[in-house]
Amino acid sequence: MSNEKITITVNGKRYDKEVEPRRLLSDFIRDDLRLTGTHVGCEHGVCGSCTVLMNGKSVRSCLTFAVMADGAEIMTIEGLGTAENMHPLQKGFWEKHGLQCGFCTPGMLMTAVELLKEKPRPSVDEIREALSGNLCRCTGYQTIVESIQRGAEIMQGGK
Amino acid sequence: MTTTRFHAPERLDEAIRLLAADDEARPLAGGQTLVAMLNADLLSPSQIISLHRIAALKGIEKRSDGSVRIGAMTTHAGLARSDVLRDGHRLLAQAAGRIGHEAIRNRGTIGGAVAHGDPSADYPPALVALDAVIEAVGPKGKREIPASDFFQGFLTTALGQGEIVAAIILPPSLNQARTHYEKFARVEGDFATVSVAVALWRGGVRIALGGVGPVPVRSAEAEAELQAGQLSDAAINDAGALLVAASDPLDDVRGSADYRRRLIPRLVKRAIRAAQAKDAR
Repeated sequence: MSNEKITITVNGKRYDKEVEPRRLLSDFIRDDLRLTGTHVGCEHGVCGSCTVLMNGKSVRSCLTFAVMADGAEIMTIEGLGTAENMHPLQKGFWEKHGLQCGFCTPGMLMTAVELLKEKPRPSVDEIREALSGNLCRCTGYQTIVESIQRGAEIMQGGK
Repeated sequence: MTTTRFHAPERLDEAIRLLAADDEARPLAGGQTLVAMLNADLLSPSQIISLHRIAALKGIEKRSDGSVRIGAMTTHAGLARSDVLRDGHRLLAQAAGRIGHEAIRNRGTIGGAVAHGDPSADYPPALVALDAVIEAVGPKGKREIPASDFFQGFLTTALGQGEIVAAIILPPSLNQARTHYEKFARVEGDFATVSVAVALWRGGVRIALGGVGPVPVRSAEAEAELQAGQLSDAAINDAGALLVAASDPLDDVRGSADYRRRLIPRLVKRAIRAAQAKDAR
């Protein structure tokens, strides 16, 4: 199998790597770059836990080959914030208990980042529609919706 | 995982040459179905020919005759937001916005979805209702296939070996129509249990149903009935019954055949009334 040379910028850092053609972007991020915050659930695009931003837009990293991301800028959960310096959405999840086991959380957050970029003050219905492609088996979604509302509030300058 | 070679040519003729030379090769558009099938080991192509670098497959263009040519690699999200699609052509943008979820729409393409030919997908009924034409390119050159002939059966299209969808063309005629896409799905983002695409204009009515047969379902009798009855409640009821008779739904996880038959008349009525409520042109 011939490997492909790719250049990908992930969270602002440039990587020059060789990958097998069918290497999934999700596996590339987790196994080659050791950025394990991006989770892999269903591997067929249903659960949303592998969602990352590619050139600013949400994508399923499990349905994208790493070679298709050649030249792209990727943002994963590791690029969003740190424990010491959380992104407003992460603060929202922290305050409103938007997670229990945490498996779906990185995908939820990356999806919410894109939502708030388009709609800084989304309605509950808009939040629920945006989250319809991200499955959570713990929370029943209520606290996730509240977390995103809270994140939006903080981003708007609320305390 | 099987051995797969990968090519991402920049020229359309190069992609066609590679595909025509190897019937185990598969073209890759946005990958939202193909990569999922590869992950599930449902396919093991010898080569993947990615179309993402081919400029000739990109862009949405309004032509001087009022028709719109949509490059096959246009994403669902790009189509849903396009301001090139106006008036009656908005039907296609409406359908694009109902496909899957934003992360799927950001990658999935109209060419890939159309070539896949899933009868529960959103584009097939919308394209049939809009009288669209599929521009296919293959080793023998380019040909244009009306959407109503393109979809031939479950996951089966008129595309031949080595042939790909290059563009979708929306004719100018239905641009003056009032249109609406009505989709009933169990949850947001799912494939349709039943969907209805409707175009109404001074000279006629076109209705195509998704999810209730191996290809989009139309009924000339139903359309004639609606036209003659001037979209009265009685005419819509009769047309609903005729469309139920023309449909051939299956029982599956998204609903029983009987449930789908019950949905058809209700959704047809909803779709027609919603189309009528749009601004007259």
